[in-house]
Amino acid sequence: MPRIGVYICHCGENIAGAVNVEEVRKYAEKLPGVVLARDYLFMCSDPGQELIKQDIRNGLIDRVVVAACTPRTHEPIFRKSVEDGGLNKYLFEMANIRDQDSWPHWHDKEGATAKAKKLVASAVAKAAFLEPLDDRFVEVTRASMVVGGGVAGMFAALDLANMGYKVYLVEKNPSVGGNMAKLDKTFPTNDCSACILTPIMVQVGTHPNIELLTYSEVESVEGSIGNFKVKVRKKQTYIDWDKCTGCGDCVNACPAKVPNEFNEGMDNRKAIYIEFPQAVPKRAVVDIEHCLSCAKRTIGTKPRIHSKTGEPILAPCEKACKTGACDRSREYNPEGEIVELNVGTIIVATGYKVMDKAPFKEYSPQSPNVITAMQLERILSATGPTEGHFHRPSDGEKPKTIAFISCVGSRDKRYHTYCSKVCCMYMLKEARLIKEKYPDTNIYIFFIDVRTGGKDFEEYYNYCRDLGIKMLRGRVGAVDELPGDRLRVRAYDVDLGAPVELEADLVVLATAVEPAPGLEELGRKLGITCGSEGFLKEMHTKLYPVETPVKGIYIAGCAQGPKDIPESVSQARAASSAAAVPLTLGKVVVEPLISEVNQRKCAGCGTCVQLCPYSAIRLVEDKGRLRAKIDEALCAGCGVCAAACPSGVITLHGFTNAQIHAQIKALAC
Amino acid sequence: MSNVQVATGVINLSEGDPGLVNEIKELGGEELLECIQCAKCAAACPMVLAGFSFFNKRVIHAILLGLRDALLDDSSIWACQSCNRCTEVCPREVNPFEIIQAMRRVAIREFALPTLSIEGLKSLYDTGHAVYLAGAGSTRAKVGLPDKPPSTVANLEALKELQAIIRQTALADLGIIPMGESDVTETCEV
Amino acid sequence: MKVGFFVGCNTAFNRPDLEQAVRYAFPALGIELDNLEGQSCCPSWGTMPSVDVVGWCAVGARNHTIAEEKGLDILTVCGSCYGSLAESKYKMDINPEVKASVNEILKKIGREYKGTSKVRLAHYYLYHELGPDRIREALKHRLDGLTVALQPGCHTLWPSKVYYDKEEDPFHPRVLKEMCEALGATVGYYTRLLDCCGMGAMRSTDMEKAFKLVEKKLVSMKEEVNPDLIVTGCSSCLIQFDTAQEFLRSGKKINFEIPVLHFMQILALCLGADREQVTGLAKTDVGPVVNRILAG
Repeated sequence: MPRIGVYICHCGENIAGAVNVEEVRKYAEKLPGVVLARDYLFMCSDPGQELIKQDIRNGLIDRVVVAACTPRTHEPIFRKSVEDGGLNKYLFEMANIRDQDSWPHWHDKEGATAKAKKLVASAVAKAAFLEPLDDRFVEVTRASMVVGGGVAGMFAALDLANMGYKVYLVEKNPSVGGNMAKLDKTFPTNDCSACILTPIMVQVGTHPNIELLTYSEVESVEGSIGNFKVKVRKKQTYIDWDKCTGCGDCVNACPAKVPNEFNEGMDNRKAIYIEFPQAVPKRAVVDIEHCLSCAKRTIGTKPRIHSKTGEPILAPCEKACKTGACDRSREYNPEGEIVELNVGTIIVATGYKVMDKAPFKEYSPQSPNVITAMQLERILSATGPTEGHFHRPSDGEKPKTIAFISCVGSRDKRYHTYCSKVCCMYMLKEARLIKEKYPDTNIYIFFIDVRTGGKDFEEYYNYCRDLGIKMLRGRVGAVDELPGDRLRVRAYDVDLGAPVELEADLVVLATAVEPAPGLEELGRKLGITCGSEGFLKEMHTKLYPVETPVKGIYIAGCAQGPKDIPESVSQARAASSAAAVPLTLGKVVVEPLISEVNQRKCAGCGTCVQLCPYSAIRLVEDKGRLRAKIDEALCAGCGVCAAACPSGVITLHGFTNAQIHAQIKALAC
Repeated sequence: MSNVQVATGVINLSEGDPGLVNEIKELGGEELLECIQCAKCAAACPMVLAGFSFFNKRVIHAILLGLRDALLDDSSIWACQSCNRCTEVCPREVNPFEIIQAMRRVAIREFALPTLSIEGLKSLYDTGHAVYLAGAGSTRAKVGLPDKPPSTVANLEALKELQAIIRQTALADLGIIPMGESDVTETCEV
Repeated sequence: MKVGFFVGCNTAFNRPDLEQAVRYAFPALGIELDNLEGQSCCPSWGTMPSVDVVGWCAVGARNHTIAEEKGLDILTVCGSCYGSLAESKYKMDINPEVKASVNEILKKIGREYKGTSKVRLAHYYLYHELGPDRIREALKHRLDGLTVALQPGCHTLWPSKVYYDKEEDPFHPRVLKEMCEALGATVGYYTRLLDCCGMGAMRSTDMEKAFKLVEKKLVSMKEEVNPDLIVTGCSSCLIQFDTAQEFLRSGKKINFEIPVLHFMQILALCLGADREQVTGLAKTDVGPVVNRILAG
């Protein structure tokens, strides 16, 4: 007969505010198998854990049930106290009477108490059938993959590389740098973005421990912490990067014009192009969709021979290339190349994109003088389409009056309900850069709430006001086109209590920060879900902000939600240290909560083999018959096989049929 | 807040009616609490441009504070054009127009409605038209049309149908207008 | 082709010349009009909509069912009717509870709202069902050489989610413009195009304030377009622009007069209607501009 101890946590007022703890304790005391039931203000505190250890040491109990908060954060804590007390740590069960009871039923105290009793009874019923289990350990591949080569990904990669680990840095664009490479200056110190970023890009490009895989995307991920097998698709560049020196001769020769993504579509690049002058690696790629195939030099064909000279007829890009990197005879292969990587941990730092202006019809997006803040960033940048000269798009005139509109697509139920967090500061920054350079410019910022929480941010805001930048409280309702490429901005000024109109030469929309395209799909490949807003969900907002529900996979930067550069870098460096822990230990604990086949009784039907999402089950020959065998290293303990086995001979340890039946029966009482 | 302040002096928030929010939600203003007072609705609102003291944004704010009397003492809500530009631009999908309608519904339940609205309702009940000009027959004849349009004014059965419907609605319980069965005679312009 | 003509109040009693214009133009273009016998007020915003949602929809639904029984769409020339009818339909179509309550009431008179008829605005109907080209071909007179300023009307634009006939981009409307261009007119853009004219509940509540709105629009039209004619897409806007100018002139707010007609009146003229019957009730002096149209 098991001797079960039940411990009920008040969680301060979190549980006790809705659940009558004493009533639940008295109820638990009388449950079959329970020898004692105690309650305490905070079970997870040192005195709380001590209660459990003492009862075990005193030989009073041999099974432990804690009714408290979520096992997500607290199960490891209580397992440890059970182990410290001298029991196998898997002789422990948890009932979540907070997240699943007191919180949602806060206004129904009686109901919450009744539900707590059921949850406790159910956990106790399961506890009676618990069995001791032993942890497994697996060796760790001492390498890591970082997805995304923006400022967060680069810092994460550098930290791990500097610790001595091999890092694969996967970036979908031809160059690392990310969005930060597009910025002119950065708040709150107005450092030149290129000046602080490009040295980091160079470090990443030259570090002996970092292998750059740019123009590449993650194709699939298998395995688990310590041993991930990743397939990466290197997209086809149609240029031999081993030979390319990044001289740009092919680019100059190319006649095809394509809107330039790096300059936010405000000028053109060529079909053969280097992403931007400071690119790392500085290599050319052919945008095959826009390539004109000059001289009929379709990729993958042999050149025609000139009838008189007998020389091959080459495309301009080929002719210009001195190294032979650009050779259009190379095979047409849009699939690219698959590279297989073995890594112990993964960091996802895929960044963000900003919304386009097109959906905001009320702001006359058809006018060239209505631009996004990212476009303004490119206009202000010395590497941008105007080489840093402050010209408005329609006619190249210097704008005299500028209106900034905040929260465009943010705090907006039709697009994104969240606050994009960085817009208030970047609008102030852009306004300040303009005002400092051209003090006679009139700048008006229309906002809902100015949000400048952050080190030195409020000081930055005040400085901008001192410069004479006008701040108006009231979301703009309309931007109408006026003759002469001017714009009329209309708002209700809350502080004046009056409608206001402003005739502006340039209107800048602070469009929302949104997840990078394809993030949800990448999340699916990794087994990490996105929140309703499309950003990857961390394990726990406060305590495990860089961890994900998948052990060994970490997140950093705007992949998790809108962030500024200081925050992205901080999180990247936190993620790199978290990702280094398993690499440093060299082995990781794998919970023994996995499936096992009773081979003697297996009929070899193969149902489980088909269903296993982790390809962990094979049919092997045993005494002349096929029987299922589960690879412990691959099994993730999902339980699909155990549920599906027609003979009922697969056991999922920690969730055995007997345990689950007992739980359900207790709930049904 | 110039007009409001002139009208009421200091607004005593502790006298706010916390029940007003629920009343509005029940009378069609379901999305009231989504409002973050960004003021986008007010940017091109005809009521703002014409200078009324209360309009979409401010009506919502006053409702959230429970300022029932301030809202009822002012006729602004009855000047709403129902143009719905606010509904189109509202980034919170509050349907500000519907909130103003809901405030009118609150006001009507306290008999705080302008005479013209009473007349409009009465005309609707009596003739089937909120706007009805008894003398329109000659104007119609002038442009070559029959005296009456093919509506309830020319069709007593239809009018009775309409009246039967209106008698089933909330208007019947409010007793704002008499609801007998009447002939089509009066003039009303709303 | 056949459609149910919903006359409404202002068109029937204030501007029956507009009603006559519709009754002339549609058949002239080969579209039969049904009278929707027994129709009532839409109901207008200040009446049932201000009492409660179900009452509003119930009175609206009775009108919808008249068209539904005949298998016809409902056609209006009045923005308010268009708005109120489209909105009551939208409420009933997306909210089964409202629809059920309404049908509970309609049951008393043996009717049931099904949601099978669409609410259409006259010039949008013609734009979508015939297209500007076919209308151009049918014209007897044209507006060549005439410059017009437009007043699309609020209820033709927003809330765009409730309308069947709508603009691709309500902040940059095109339909009325393209229709006027099909008649040969030059359409001038003025920057207050989207603003409300002030007709409606506001004019009933405070005429002086309401006239501030139409004044601002008139000045913007005059300064930026200097049109020969104002063309409206809504009967309420027609009345406001047509009647406000004399008042504004006497108050020294403006010193000009621009003739005003609804699009359907101009179309009827261009299709050969009797000028007195389809424009005879205008307060602004439309005579000279009608002369030019009939000569064109």
